[in-house]
Amino acid sequence: MIRLVDVHKSFTVKDRKTRKPKRIDAVQGISFEVKAGEIYGLLGPNGAGKSTTLRMIASLMAPDSGTLEVCGVDAIREPDRSRAAVAYLATDMNVYERFTPRELLRMFGEFQGVEATVAERRGMHLLEKLHLTEFADVKMDGFSSGQKQKVGIARALLHDPKVVVFDEPTTGLDVLTAKTVLDLLRVMKSEGRAVVVSTHVMPMVEQICDRVGIIYDGKLHGDAPPRELLKSRNALTLDEVFFQLAAESEAAALGKGA
Amino acid sequence: MNGAWLIFKKEMIEFFKDRKTVFFAFVMPLILFPVLFTMIGKLGRRDADQRRGQPSKVILLDPGNVLRSSLEGQPTKFKLVPKPEGDFLRAVTEEKADLEVQVDPKAAEASARMETFVVKATYDESTSASRLARKRLEEVLKTFDETQVNARLVSIQAPGMLAKPTKLDAVNASDTGREISKMLGSFLPYMLLIIMYAGAMQHGAYLSAGERERGTLLSLLATRMPRAQIILGKQLALFALCLINVVVSLSAMAFGMGRLVAEIQPAEAAAQSSAAMGNLSAIASPTTLLLCFLLLVPLGFFFTAIVILVGTQAKNTREAQTALTPGIFVVILLGVFSMAPGIEKMAALPYVPILNISLAIRKLFSQQGSPYEYAVALVMTIGLAALMTWQSSRVLSRESALFKGGD
Repeated sequence: MIRLVDVHKSFTVKDRKTRKPKRIDAVQGISFEVKAGEIYGLLGPNGAGKSTTLRMIASLMAPDSGTLEVCGVDAIREPDRSRAAVAYLATDMNVYERFTPRELLRMFGEFQGVEATVAERRGMHLLEKLHLTEFADVKMDGFSSGQKQKVGIARALLHDPKVVVFDEPTTGLDVLTAKTVLDLLRVMKSEGRAVVVSTHVMPMVEQICDRVGIIYDGKLHGDAPPRELLKSRNALTLDEVFFQLAAESEAAALGKGA
Repeated sequence: MNGAWLIFKKEMIEFFKDRKTVFFAFVMPLILFPVLFTMIGKLGRRDADQRRGQPSKVILLDPGNVLRSSLEGQPTKFKLVPKPEGDFLRAVTEEKADLEVQVDPKAAEASARMETFVVKATYDESTSASRLARKRLEEVLKTFDETQVNARLVSIQAPGMLAKPTKLDAVNASDTGREISKMLGSFLPYMLLIIMYAGAMQHGAYLSAGERERGTLLSLLATRMPRAQIILGKQLALFALCLINVVVSLSAMAFGMGRLVAEIQPAEAAAQSSAAMGNLSAIASPTTLLLCFLLLVPLGFFFTAIVILVGTQAKNTREAQTALTPGIFVVILLGVFSMAPGIEKMAALPYVPILNISLAIRKLFSQQGSPYEYAVALVMTIGLAALMTWQSSRVLSRESALFKGGD
């Protein structure tokens, strides 16, 4: 369903001190594959390249080089077609607060080319799964961040996408709401969708992910099921694996510099 | 085009869901302008009534008593006040008197010798009471002169018409409708430019930079909708809002102006306006109004394209509004320039964006429109608006427009 081969992405930003353009290699030759009915977890610290990778899968960014396929579509050549197959959710996304969830879902159904009756039925089904049915006709300006996040998830899944890309979906949510989101991801998996999530929360990865990739400095370190990763690293937790990989990466960088 | 229509619909629904914004954008001008103009009219009328009903205070220095009787004979218009201590000029500027009149001490002798004598009047142009006093003095002097000239003609046994070799018989080739139409032609483009730009600026920053600020832009761009259609839909919505703004503001202003005129000249206004409206309807025909509207469409698109282009590049609403504010001064400047008399004769103006549209509207109303100039204005403005729309969709396709950097 999702295939990345040697994908590179760099940005040119202004250096804060010198104000001169500076090149940042956000993603450096990442390769992995996510099959239908699989949940793939991307782990890594802030600035590691997780969000950039997910945005490329969602066709919101184009890779500089490499191969990226989503549902057999070349996402670099046909980003609009590829995007139509993806549900994308990120922490910096918000909902239109002047609308009610029902109105918002109806509107996004139109945007995604879903027939009105189908959008209504699917939207209400998603709201029910997310325990939001009683708020379906309430204006969202008074919603909590958890409620907004749930509506965002319903919005992303409305067009019945084959691929689900969620960037830190449980950040800022209470335990109950986070559980609802994780349960929904399990449902997505059981329905045969390919799911990619990025997170800092290691226990979440151990609970739901079939395979894990750890990103550090734009490079993918380890791409295996959580248990295999623990075994190969002789570690008890994923946090431990993560710290080992971070130390190795820094040592390698120092060696290169010397 | 379906995507653009869906975005247009979304923007309009979102706008009209905010009742406060709707009230302040569309209902408030309907109340504010008529109330404001009526108040100005009432104050102006009260002030004029007060001035007309009161005599002007005059310091008269007339040793020969040549003009004294003429002034004293009109107590409703003049009230002679005693000569103050010190500077006369100061007495006028400090409004202790409205006018100071000094008649030549040898005026009586000069008059007897049929010679001219000097009447020096000191007044303050900056005060309406002083201007009125001067006007009243001029009327007195006119009557005085006529009496004197007639007496002199009689004394030499000459006919009275000797001092009046001509009599002006002026015929106005225009009519009130044509005058109003010409005035409308110079005034309307100015108002349209300002209202359209201000409206576009006010709502456009919310539609473009506001989306990014509120975190909703990404959800829109994550759909399968092409960027160009998102931009076009937003522009269409902004244009529609601008158009409503123009119609509401101009209607409110027209109604307010009517109230103002009715307050100042109630009887004359009623008679004049009914006569003028008949003539005006012949000039502001459906064809003129349709052509005027056809010019407004590209102008509206031009402004909305500028606003959306700036808005898509701004980080937030404040940055967008800060960047767009200087534009209002440019528009005001162009608007004032377009009102200047005689500019329609400048050969290069049909090729200057914005100005060419206001010039074309002006010529339409004065019935001097040239199809070539009209077409140039139309094509140029459409071309520029299309160019900016294309550039906006390019900006929105850039990754830097979506994200500040990579993670």
